[in-house]
Amino acid sequence: MKTAVEQNFITLNLSIMKKILIAISLIFIFNLAHAQDLVKKIPADAFAVATIKGDNVFKLMFVKDFNESFLGKKLLTQTSKSLEKEFTSIEDFGINLNKNMYYFNQVNDSITYNCFLIPLQDASKFEGLINNKNEKINTVNGIKTMVLPDSTGLMRWNDNTLYFVAGSIRSSFFADSAKSAQYGIKDIRYQNSYSEEAVTDSAVVDSTYSAEDYPAIPDVVTITEQPLKIQKKNSTQIKKKHHAVAAKPSKKKKAKKNTAKKATYKKKPVQPKEVEIDNYEADTVAKLPIEMETYTTDSVGESTGSYDEYLDYQNKRAEQEAKKKRLAIIWINAQADKIFNTEYESISSNKSYASSLDDKAIAELWVSSLQNAYSSIAPEFGTYGKANIMKGYGSLTAKLFMDQTSFRISTGLELAQEQVDSYKKIMNRKLNKDFLKYVDSEKAIGFMSYSIDTKAYLEEFPKLLKQAYGPILGTKMDDEMDLGADLLTLLLDEEAVSKVIKGDALFVVNGLTTKDVTYTTYDYDEDYNQTEVTKTKKETLPDFIFMFSSEDNRLINKLIKYGINKNRVSVNQNIYKIEEKKSPIDIYFMVKDGIVFFGSAFDEMQRISNNQFQGAISKQHKSLLANNNFTMLFNSKNLVGKIPDEELGGAENAQKLNSTLSKMGNLYIKSNPIKGNVVSGEISAEIPNGHENALKYLFSLIENASK
Amino acid sequence: MRLKRFYAAFLPVFIILLLSSCFQVIEEISLKNDGTGDVALTINLSQSRTKLASVMLLDSIQGYKVPSKAKLQQELNEAVAYLKKSEGISNVKSTSDFNNYVATITFSFKDVSNINNITKNILARQKIKGTNSSSYSYNKISKTFSRKYQAVSTAKTEFNKLKNQDKAVFNNATYTSIYRFESPVITTSNPASNLSKSKKAVMLKSSIIDLINGKVNVSNQIQLSK
Repeated sequence: MKTAVEQNFITLNLSIMKKILIAISLIFIFNLAHAQDLVKKIPADAFAVATIKGDNVFKLMFVKDFNESFLGKKLLTQTSKSLEKEFTSIEDFGINLNKNMYYFNQVNDSITYNCFLIPLQDASKFEGLINNKNEKINTVNGIKTMVLPDSTGLMRWNDNTLYFVAGSIRSSFFADSAKSAQYGIKDIRYQNSYSEEAVTDSAVVDSTYSAEDYPAIPDVVTITEQPLKIQKKNSTQIKKKHHAVAAKPSKKKKAKKNTAKKATYKKKPVQPKEVEIDNYEADTVAKLPIEMETYTTDSVGESTGSYDEYLDYQNKRAEQEAKKKRLAIIWINAQADKIFNTEYESISSNKSYASSLDDKAIAELWVSSLQNAYSSIAPEFGTYGKANIMKGYGSLTAKLFMDQTSFRISTGLELAQEQVDSYKKIMNRKLNKDFLKYVDSEKAIGFMSYSIDTKAYLEEFPKLLKQAYGPILGTKMDDEMDLGADLLTLLLDEEAVSKVIKGDALFVVNGLTTKDVTYTTYDYDEDYNQTEVTKTKKETLPDFIFMFSSEDNRLINKLIKYGINKNRVSVNQNIYKIEEKKSPIDIYFMVKDGIVFFGSAFDEMQRISNNQFQGAISKQHKSLLANNNFTMLFNSKNLVGKIPDEELGGAENAQKLNSTLSKMGNLYIKSNPIKGNVVSGEISAEIPNGHENALKYLFSLIENASK
Repeated sequence: MRLKRFYAAFLPVFIILLLSSCFQVIEEISLKNDGTGDVALTINLSQSRTKLASVMLLDSIQGYKVPSKAKLQQELNEAVAYLKKSEGISNVKSTSDFNNYVATITFSFKDVSNINNITKNILARQKIKGTNSSSYSYNKISKTFSRKYQAVSTAKTEFNKLKNQDKAVFNNATYTSIYRFESPVITTSNPASNLSKSKKAVMLKSSIIDLINGKVNVSNQIQLSK
């Protein structure tokens, strides 16, 4: 029994711990160079690594500026308040702000570690954050350790490094009775113990049951201080273990066995101690339904009994959970020892990780391999986990950049060689340069382009499809998949299709136009007699051009001819109009110089047709479109004031929207060319003028948002 | 397929344009001195027709499934079929114009109280929650026509649960009620209602948002001359 003082201390510590963790994670967001980089402490088998580069962050914003920022002040005053100490700078936390901070994740079949490596500038300042009561801190050779009050992790530090690790046991591991038995842990389910207890209701069984179940026989593996209370179970568990090696029983089967076992108790009160598992199963499973029924009628009306049962179930479960926890902290401790005290191969020797680094990034994330990641979590997905849908997908990287002009997030994904080969063939096309004549950067609200090689796409598509869905369908469907792929190849003449649709297209919204539209409403005379009247109002509609390249126009010409015959298409000069009354926008189209144009404005189509279209593409837009297979741009500024207030629900709404739009810079997404085995893309948001850099802009946004 | 992708990409722009739309709901009741009469209900979405036409091209908007024209027509037909079976109701007709997005239902009643449960039931069938509780009555002897309306708080709560962009749909929506009588009107209890020059018709116009929020009450007690 804990004393009240102890209890208080634990509660106090818990709350302080929480605050420190919040503080650390807050700092972590904005943090830390190279000399003696902590990356050496990250094991080579780390599954994911995240880095925050302190020196890059604090180049954009001096520590002093941070302290004076809204967020900085909030962090400092709150920490001061909760720890009853005066903090005036984040440097007071003792963290080295000029070095890299790391988070990494390590996974094995039984436990997941979430770890932070934080460089310290001044360990004594850091200790100041952890309250003064040193009882909980163990010091061995100058290395201090503090276990979290709830035993889910620990903090260990010396003069220059803080290591924090939290571990969580993987339920899938202990769901495997063979494995959990090694550690003296059993899987408790409500139904199991429920039926177990129902059986003990009967006096005859009770004695047998307890006599059998509670002799103190030493455990197989004794990590826990208490020996396990089960003997018979132990023996069956050991048997099960052998059994498991041979056949790996599923959770379901195991659960059945357990229930069945209890049921048998009832049936045969005096059970021999050792039961051959196979006979046992066959015998009991067959009888299960009937016995379950009997049991139900037994327990009906004993509400207090079942509540006790439930309590008992909870206690038993809690006991097992406590065992798992004790095991976890032993493992965590061992892991921390390894990280802190030993030399081993670090992640920096991992090629994929090393090549993912970028000096200019503010933060980086690297995930070792999606394929491996999937396999490692797959057991928790049950049967679906068997097929690795991530097959062929390698490491994933994401990098955050902030500079004087923009925020930028770039992501990259490593692919297997055959996928890369497919993608390289598909991506081997540039956007038709003639498209660029029809972009007016001064007016354009947005555009979207893509360029792929249609022929290569059609040829590679079946392969990619098979890679993507093959594993899900399993080997059973291999023949069908192959047949499907061949059929597609047979039906399609890839070459011919690629001449009609070459595979590059550009969609541009060059602006907005107002159009008069009619609507029906009612007028009332002085006696309120209703007459239907038609009125007109102005509406704003996007003004777009969509174009794609086509070498072979025969099919398109036939389609046009068909459309005209069926009165679905009308023609004016060489410009066609789609006759669709329901369409809110008029759609015109024409074919010119190997480009099929679709557009919403007749006069614009006319200008294109007569070579009078005056586009003016900016250098930036030109290189964006010309160099990438996929791009998207949204220029919100060009939308400001273009939409009549009444369409935005009044002047007030319109003003709000316009002010937001005018503050936003260009937003664009693009794909990068494939480099090595990596496909990558980036999303970038420009910051508005008048801000020193993206980080400071972000801070100002946060400040504004909190006002 | 491609067009759909483009729609998806530029959806923000479209949504801005779709932010506000207008629609009118008009309810016209002509009451004879003997208590029988006719009702004409009109829903006119024509002011939003370009937007609706765009919306109809999409599968769903702002998380709501866009019903097909056939589905809308079917719902209207069901309403008509239901009315035909209702007690005291006869001469049920409906029109729908999907070019202008106008739909009307007209019918005759034996007694104005026949209407009371109809709207409620139709709306309930369409699973539209939290509408008003409204009732009509006519006393032949005293020659008083009354409409009782009680804004239901659930309507307001349900409405407030909607996202702002969804609420905007109702911004310019109006509700108009017109009651016509054979005898001239002497008094009306609702100050927001207007009396026609002939004194034989009463009109009340209000915004639907005000109705939902309970800011406007359309209850009216109309005394006809004896």
